[in-house]
Parts: sequence; C-alpha cells; structure tokens
Amino acid sequence: MSNQRQASSASQVPHLSPAELSYLYTSLSLPKNPIRPDGRSPTQFRPLSAETTILPGTNGSARIGFADGTQAIVGVKAEVEKTVLAADTLDSRSLAQHGDALNREGEQGSAAVSGQGEWVQMSIEIPGFRDDDALPVFLSEMMRESLVGSVAGGNGDAVKEMAGGLKGRLVINKRWHWRLYIDVLLLSQPLAYPLPLLSLTTHLALLSTKLPKLKSTGEEDPFFDDDWAAAEYLYPRSNISKSLSAAPSYPVRPPVTLLVISVGDNVIFDPNREEIAVADAVLAISVTRSGDSETLKLLSIRSIDPPSRLTQPGIPNSENVNMLGATAAPGEETGGQEEVEGVWRPRRGGVKRSVIARMVKTVLGKGGVGEEVLEGLEGVEVQ
Amino acid sequence: MPLDTSTTYPLTRLRLDGRRWNELRLLQAQISTNPASSGSSYLSMGNTSIMCSVHGPAEGRRGDGGGGAAGSGHAVVEVDVNVAGFAGVDRKRRAGGSDRQSSRIATTLRSAFQSHLHTYLYPHSTISIHVSVLSADGSLLAAAINACTLALVDAGIPMPGLLCGCTSGMSGSASTPRDPRHDELDPLLDLSLPEEQELPSLTVATTTAVPVGENNMDDDEEAMKVCVLTMESKVHATYLETMLAVGIDGCSQIRELLEGVIKGSRG
Repeated sequence: MSNQRQASSASQVPHLSPAELSYLYTSLSLPKNPIRPDGRSPTQFRPLSAETTILPGTNGSARIGFADGTQAIVGVKAEVEKTVLAADTLDSRSLAQHGDALNREGEQGSAAVSGQGEWVQMSIEIPGFRDDDALPVFLSEMMRESLVGSVAGGNGDAVKEMAGGLKGRLVINKRWHWRLYIDVLLLSQPLAYPLPLLSLTTHLALLSTKLPKLKSTGEEDPFFDDDWAAAEYLYPRSNISKSLSAAPSYPVRPPVTLLVISVGDNVIFDPNREEIAVADAVLAISVTRSGDSETLKLLSIRSIDPPSRLTQPGIPNSENVNMLGATAAPGEETGGQEEVEGVWRPRRGGVKRSVIARMVKTVLGKGGVGEEVLEGLEGVEVQ
Repeated sequence: MPLDTSTTYPLTRLRLDGRRWNELRLLQAQISTNPASSGSSYLSMGNTSIMCSVHGPAEGRRGDGGGGAAGSGHAVVEVDVNVAGFAGVDRKRRAGGSDRQSSRIATTLRSAFQSHLHTYLYPHSTISIHVSVLSADGSLLAAAINACTLALVDAGIPMPGLLCGCTSGMSGSASTPRDPRHDELDPLLDLSLPEEQELPSLTVATTTAVPVGENNMDDDEEAMKVCVLTMESKVHATYLETMLAVGIDGCSQIRELLEGVIKGSRG
C-alpha cells in the first residue's frame, strides 16, 4: 500500500524489466497493426458488464465490472440547497435596476438559467488511497470539469430543458437549487488507470438519476411531489416511440471520458496497466453528443503524465561492463543518448501534433470509437 | 421524532416494516462476486447492503512499523471499512478518511476474525478484508460480520465454523427494572435503522463450538459459542438475558441462510 500512496497522477508502474518494456513497446508500435498483450484490436475495449439503479437509497446508481474483476459503483445523491448569490451577480442586478426594464428582464433571465459548477460535487474512493491523495482528487476534478462544462446546443424541447448544461438543470428558481453529490467507489485495487471505468459508470449513474417532480412554481419555496414514480430524469429523455420495448433516446447525454495512448505512430484505446507503462503520451479525451446532431462534440483533452518517464533505461551491450569482452569495439563511445534498437529508453519530450490530431479524430469521427462507446452504453437498460 | 411503533406496537404487535418481533429482514447473499480478489461476497439484510472482498493470505507489507505480530507465527487480519457517502438517507461528508462508526466496526471485525480464523496456518502473512457499505439501514456490524464470513469462506481460509451476527433490541421502557408482576417482555430481532436509533440494542455473533476435550464425544450440534457481543446503548440488566437469547436465536437462523448460500453456489 505504501508504494501505491507514492503513485502520483500516473497509475502504479508494474514491475517490468527494461527488456520487457522494450518488447512491449516494439509490439505495440508495429506500423498499422499493433499487437496488444491481450490480443485486442487497437480500438477494442475490454468486455464489461453493467447494471443501473442498483441502490434504492440513491437518486441514481450504476455498477460496471470489467472481466478482469475491477468494479466500480457510483451513487448520485441530490439535495436542495439555498442559492447564495455571488457578489458579481448582485452587482449586475443592482446595475440592472438602474437600467431600463428590458435590460433588467434580460439580466434576470440569464441569472435564472446559469448555474454554478460547484453545485456538482464528486468524490472518488479508491482502496488504499486517502480521499485527499493526488490520484482521486485529480481523477474527480478531471471528470467533474467536463461534466459541468458541457452545454447542450441545438434545439428541441428536451434540449431547452437542459439549456445551460447540467449546471442549468440544477437550478430550481432564483433562490433554490439542487446540489448533486456523485460518489464513486472503486471496489478493487486499480489494475489499470481507472479513468475509463469510472467515467462510464458515472455516465450510466447520471442517466438513471431521477429528481422529484417540482410542484411549486416560479419563485416559491420548492415543494415536491412525494410520488417517486412521478420523478423526472435528471437527463431528460424523449420517448418518441411509445412502445415499452424501444430504448429511450437521450437528446442530451452526460460526457464520457476516454483514455487514449499513443505508442509510436499507433493510437490505442482503453489501455491496460502494462500498455500505459510504455506509452509515449496518455490523453484523457471527453466527448459528448451535442443536441440532435449525430456528431460528437469534444469537451476537453487532458494529458496525463505517462509512467514510462519514470522507468529505468536498458543498457545496450556496447556499454555493458559485463559484456565488454564480447563486443567487438569496446572503445567506441556511444554517449548513451541515442536510441539503440531493442533497448528500452524512458520516453522523453512531447508528442507530435499529428499524433494528437489522429487520436482526437479516431474518437470523434463518424463511426469512431466515441460513437461506438456511446452506442454500447445506450444498450444498457436504464429503468 | 418518536418512533411510530412505540405507540402502535403494543396494540398491533407489528413493527414499522410489518415484521413480527422474531422475524428477520429479507437476507440475500452471493459469493464470488469479484474475480479480482481471493474471496468476495455481497450481502443485503433488508435495505442494508454490503460488499466485502478478501485479499490474501499474502505476504505482509515490509517496513510496516506496527507489524510486530507479522513476525510471529500467525497471520494478521487487516480490516478496512468504508461507508459510502450515499449509504445513508442524507449524504454524509466525511472529513478526510474514516469516521468513528466505520473505524469502530473495523476494530470489532478485526478482533473477531483475528481470534476466529485459524491464523496459525499462515505464519508471516496478512489477510486483508475490505468492507464497503453501499446502503446503511441498521444492523451494520451484524451484516458486516456475515458478509466477511462469506467472503472468507469464498477465499478458502479455514475457520472452525461460520461466524454469524445478528442484532436484538428491547422495546418498551427498558431503562427501568423489569416488573415481575406482569411478566411481559418485548424483545425485537434484527433492528432496522429507525428502531436502532430509538431502542436499546445489542449485536451478538456466534459460531459453532469446537469439540475439545470431554466435549469431543458430545454430538450436540446445536452448541453455540458467543464470539462477539457489543452494546452501545443503556438497558436495565434484567432485560439483558432475554435480548441475548433472542439475538442468539437470530444468529442460528442466519447461519442456516448463510449455509444455504454457500452450498447453493457450489451447484
């Protein structure tokens, strides 16, 4: 546990020798068709099982388990809270009182719609980590920012309801709002960087989240229907086809954060721990579906410090003291800086722009990985 | 808020959730829920649901200052209890790490299983148990004991018998001495959260006694041994015996259910 605590933003580095790292890197960076240790194709995800609405005591919940045994449970709880108006909002309102009525109308309209990002709270529990350790804090902030930042575009009734994104949906009226607590529990030791697992589980939990139906109107103190069957989904769904068998469609969906690595010229999705250990670059890409349009929208890209920087380099035979007698030209100095075929060097420096562009394109493109993941998640029945 | 049952219970003899005094809540359990651990279980008693996973016996951590016992000939049991933020009715924010309730449960579990398991079979090793409370509705400690037992059975760690926990409480005016004239006692089995908050209650866990010495010849399969007994509320001593008897009876009911779970999963 102590060496897990030391693990920074990158996940724990498996104990692989430089020779193993070099072998992995070579097979993953084979041009066109990389060979992954578990035989998956570059864009293939690990098989997973998912279920939603598993905890009756929460507003929404979901569980996802990968076949290797890593499991996550997410519970969403919502509380009504009094809105404390920020100083700048008060200023703008007092200014508006001096202005003409039309202007004031506009000001109030915007104040009623815009919510605050801090109304969404996220906490992640990973066994072996304190909840103020770097990894849980970094992960939760990374997932929260894309969640809060996504604002729906397009038109349609349901989209209007979500105007201002998740933040806007949490506004009840000018004085009251919902506060959303998203608690993520990772039930097993993180065998790989847990971001995709946690993100997909959070996505499903938010889709199944229901809020009680509001009975009061306008600026009254909020008063709710106590019939849970009448509760409304946090992410509204448009059930155009009335048949029960058809899956509901979601005009607005919570974002999904995918983990993508690049090895050489190859782009690899859903990497496991060994694959991350040799990655040139690790990116967390958040996407969502924007409004009615079929295209995906990029919300955020974050680069994650790849653990390959911390690995030990291999020593080429020409520099190895034990091999001095065997090599032909021991006197020739290599300087130890250039790449030698088959000898592991920790990755240094940045990543090429074209590689990042390709990673983003593979996620966003038509029929790309992002669409595939969202479609797969739609297949999960959300009651 | 006064408990509704305190007024209606003497009349209807039905508790808040419609149970009679000696009825358990619905107990559902499953083992081998998590393939990434040595043993794992899921257990729900009513609305209390708990997931438990066991890692080990494995080599203990080196350089651990408190690992004095790790050097001895016995395995060390580590317990980590995590009550999820969404477990209760209101979402609870814990200040950096663990709260009092979960650390108390962890301590009780650790001392119970440290002495219960055959730890001498695994010298210099650590058995770590991770308990996550997904939803809390009373009898947390008892449910955690049962979940841990199942996970340890799944992990194949030898123990003399199943350790089964249950709560029992006493309704009525339990702070005054018992009145011998109208000899009426109102014990309750397997308390839910509102009952637990309102009434004095105890948690008891039993296991089957190991046949030792002269008892070796006894074929008394019903022999029970109390392993864990905790009580956090006050009750007059005259009621204690009844509560204990009801709790032990509940434990043997739970034992049958858990045995069914273990045998059922083999098929």
